[in-house]
Amino acid sequence: MIRHYLKIAGRAMARNKLFSFLNMAGLAIGLAAFILITLFVHNEFSWDDHWQRSEDIYRVEGTITFPVREDRPTPNAPGPVKDLLEQSFSGVEAIARHIVYPTTVKVGETLYAQQVIHADNGFMDFWNVPLLAGDSGQALSDPSGVIISERLARTYFTNTVALTDVLGSTISVNIQGQMKMFRITGVAKNPADTTHAPMDMIVRFNRQNFDGARWFSDGWRSNPWKTYIRVAPDVDVAAMEAELPKLLEAAMPPAAADQDPARRRGLVLDLRAVGDIHLYGNDSSADVSSLYGMLAIAFLILLIAVINFLNLSMARVAYRSREVAVRKVVGAGNTQIMQQFLGESVLFAFVSLLLALVMVEVSLPYYNAFLNAVIEIDFLAEPLVLVLILLLGLGVGLSAGSFHALYFAYLKPGEVLYNNSSDNPGGSFFRKVLVVGQFTIAIALMTVAVFVNRQIEYASRVDLGFDDQNLLVVSGVTADVSDTFKQTLLSSPFISAVGRSSDVPTEGSEDRLQILPNAGGEKVTLDGLPIGPDFFSVYNIPLAAGRYLTNAEPDILRSRLEEGEYRGAANILINAAGAKVLGFDTPEAAVGYVGQVNLSTSLAFEGRIVGIVQDFHFDSLRSAIRPGVYYVDQMRIPDMTLRIDSKNRDAAISVLEEAWREFFPSDLLAYREMTQMVEDQYQLDMRLGTMLTGFTILAFVISCLGLYGLAAFMIERRTREIGIRKVLGAAVPDIMGLLLWQFSKPILIAILIAGPFAFLFLQDWLQAFAYRIDLTLLPFIGVCSATLMIGWVTVFGHVLAVSRKPPITAIRYE
Amino acid sequence: MLKLHNLSKVYRSDEVETVALNSINIEIEQGEFVAIMGPSGCGKSTLLNIVGMLDSPSSGEYIFMDEDVAGYSEAQLSEIRKHNIGFIFQSFNLIDELTVEENIELALLYHNIPASERKARVAKVMDKVGIAHRASHMPSQLSGGQQQRVAVARAVVGDQAMILADEPTGNLDSAHGQEVMEMLQSLNEEGTTIVMVTHSPAHADYARRTINLFDGHVVTENLRAAE
Ligand SMILES: Nc1ncnc2c1ncn2[C@@H]1O[C@H](COP(=O)(O)OP(=O)(O)OP(=O)(O)O)[C@@H](O)[C@H]1O
Ligand SMILES: [Mg+2]
Repeated sequence: MIRHYLKIAGRAMARNKLFSFLNMAGLAIGLAAFILITLFVHNEFSWDDHWQRSEDIYRVEGTITFPVREDRPTPNAPGPVKDLLEQSFSGVEAIARHIVYPTTVKVGETLYAQQVIHADNGFMDFWNVPLLAGDSGQALSDPSGVIISERLARTYFTNTVALTDVLGSTISVNIQGQMKMFRITGVAKNPADTTHAPMDMIVRFNRQNFDGARWFSDGWRSNPWKTYIRVAPDVDVAAMEAELPKLLEAAMPPAAADQDPARRRGLVLDLRAVGDIHLYGNDSSADVSSLYGMLAIAFLILLIAVINFLNLSMARVAYRSREVAVRKVVGAGNTQIMQQFLGESVLFAFVSLLLALVMVEVSLPYYNAFLNAVIEIDFLAEPLVLVLILLLGLGVGLSAGSFHALYFAYLKPGEVLYNNSSDNPGGSFFRKVLVVGQFTIAIALMTVAVFVNRQIEYASRVDLGFDDQNLLVVSGVTADVSDTFKQTLLSSPFISAVGRSSDVPTEGSEDRLQILPNAGGEKVTLDGLPIGPDFFSVYNIPLAAGRYLTNAEPDILRSRLEEGEYRGAANILINAAGAKVLGFDTPEAAVGYVGQVNLSTSLAFEGRIVGIVQDFHFDSLRSAIRPGVYYVDQMRIPDMTLRIDSKNRDAAISVLEEAWREFFPSDLLAYREMTQMVEDQYQLDMRLGTMLTGFTILAFVISCLGLYGLAAFMIERRTREIGIRKVLGAAVPDIMGLLLWQFSKPILIAILIAGPFAFLFLQDWLQAFAYRIDLTLLPFIGVCSATLMIGWVTVFGHVLAVSRKPPITAIRYE
Repeated sequence: MLKLHNLSKVYRSDEVETVALNSINIEIEQGEFVAIMGPSGCGKSTLLNIVGMLDSPSSGEYIFMDEDVAGYSEAQLSEIRKHNIGFIFQSFNLIDELTVEENIELALLYHNIPASERKARVAKVMDKVGIAHRASHMPSQLSGGQQQRVAVARAVVGDQAMILADEPTGNLDSAHGQEVMEMLQSLNEEGTTIVMVTHSPAHADYARRTINLFDGHVVTENLRAAE
């Protein structure tokens, strides 16, 4: 029986090659797009699920809260948290913690930038890091031992053959400014690509290494530890999390007696499942909503492909009604007919699926390069994916075959068997609905894609408020050599200006300062940025009123020479947005204003506004420019921005490299280009836009395949009618007009439906942007015209051919 | 074998109501060869469809082998039809994608018969209708007469007790028509009940009894004089 069905399915396919091809190509493209998108989304959601007992591992994430300014979420926790958790919860089986320390490593004479993990006791057992060489129990027992990953071993020791040869070699690691020697005692398997914590270099945590580090202390004040717990399988983690605030309150030292309790800096701890860190962690930059958006697109494309299949199958119903009627006459029941046609379309879906998998396999390298991801299909490693893909084929086959299988099941054989010609069967209205549905989705996607890309383009042209060309940013310039290093650079003719600050544009600032507004009352919050007086000139940020800061004493809040003491008063700058929140109508009005400025809850100075700079972007370009206050703090300006001569770029860079080697011999120079940093801000959006465009084009291709097949079919049906019309005097243009109009109608209806949906969605989407485009009608009209044109081009060949046929062939046709 | 009692069929569309069969009373015995004649549109095909359970009557009784099947469901009818009734049509209704052999085998596919037995039965019936040498041809490669012989073979391969034929010779020239009629006759002689619609008086002569329909009524019933 199955062989019989296979045979007839195969022969029916062979007899209608065009239809079979269009059907299969449409479905395969749709499936390939669906698989590519869901693979990416799946990949994003499956980070860090490869650890042993991943589902029981949580990271303790601390959010530092301030009564008057925004909370600061971090991925870290203070040191005492470990003991607190260990003593309070019997459900905690193990705790591991480490410090991630980005630094410079020296191997032989070569410097490398590398993140070093300083692992506390129990780390190796907790993460179960497999070693390819060395003994994992012993590797860190020696405080000067270091474990490196296989890929680091191959980078550092280029002619390594056996990994065991690397054991015993020494490398130096810059820790707090001192080069420390380590001996390689283990080579670990390369970390997974999908982990938030790549462990490429692990050393044992040694308290002495961090003596005197400003950011490190044993108490509650510093927050350096990545802390992970593993709980027993049945522990209620939510309940644990709920108990944390009470425990913290009891454990943390009380505020100084004279401090207002409402103004205390506080700590909130969250337990983040290790698998959630990549997307939801406090340090995550992932955009989960765009992942869901992509998933929605995947399903829409699949829907288009299934509609396509339905439609082409329904169009061909006439060709096989006779077969079905005969089968019924000789005894086939409804269920058997259903089974046959469902089976046929499932088979068809599986063949398309195979084709789709080939397409996916071929396009994956490009897709990965584009997404900067490492996605692969490995059915052996992930049998579940195989099962899901098979289910996908089954589901698509069943839904795509459902309509014509049902149609055939309820076909009355008598109606077919007495007819010689196979008449246009019922369902032609239904088919039109399907075409309209298909184009509605395609047009909506296209409209969204066009506006999204326009918005991204618009955002990338937004006026930054500063000149981002020819700027290099160097970080980590220590205060003691800051001035001399700057002078060395400026002595080169290729470096025209150098400016210093604690952070640079696009990074945002972490400081929130409170200033008493003009009218008094509640203090208002401004973003604070420690700068050198040279900051605004290197970025070419113009003044709106007043003057810039200088190196004169009254302009300096904290001097390098005064051992870290803030002064009680200093001149400051604000931006135009700052003038507004302080209650001044114009920037000029703010000049000369003197107000209390709180650097922190317990530290304040008297600030005198001497100048107002024009607004410039400092945070994410998506958000509006925030009010800012700028003051000279010579202790906190490690970022140096260089304006270089565009024609002598390379020369300027070698000057920088040379000076760096002289001043910081044991640190690797890392510089960034401001244009690149600005571009990185758009990169996610741009990638999203490009992907949207790509998949929209696929949706169109599938829809047009369907339209093409349908046109072939409809025109074949109308050949006779057209012949008669021509006999009666219709000319070729009349016929063409008639047919083109017929194919335009579903597209026009689709436009009417798609428009409102797309616009409603876009309106919502654009809310996330502070600077956004208007939703004008013109681009939408462009999309509509383009769709009509594409539709016409698709059917034009058929229309032309049938319009030109001599009427006699048309009439004889039967 | 079957009995129609006051059986009517009315087609209703939005505006018009067509009475295709009007209180028909007919009885057909096992082993009979009955011809149905009448002008175009008088209801012959409608009658045959109801007898063949492809359609159901609007009112009246239809007793088939002592069962009143008038109110039966599709599935029940399909089950009875499968085991008892074979069909032959004017337009042969062979499936273009299947060979001669496969077309005939189709009638056994839904009967739970093992493949080897199916092959044997198909071979036997192909011999009987003289189409064995064309077993693996496609329908489009056969003449009309040959196609109709395949259709006859398909109608009888399941050992159906009754064959319903709607103008089986309508698309054939007289020589081929004669062939098919002779085949039906020999089937009848082996005991198969045959009900045939025809416009040809000559072909009606093969039957033992002729029912004349006019405008949905039975007008006359002629019994052919025994030879
Ligand atoms: N599906 C239908 N809907 C409406 N009316 C129908 C339908 N089928 C048949 N009729 C009508 O019923 C009447 C009988 O039709 P039927 O096909 O039985 O005639 P016939 O005797 O077989 O004619 P012919 O010799 O031309 O084949 C006709 O008037 C026809 O128009
Ligand atoms: Mg008829």
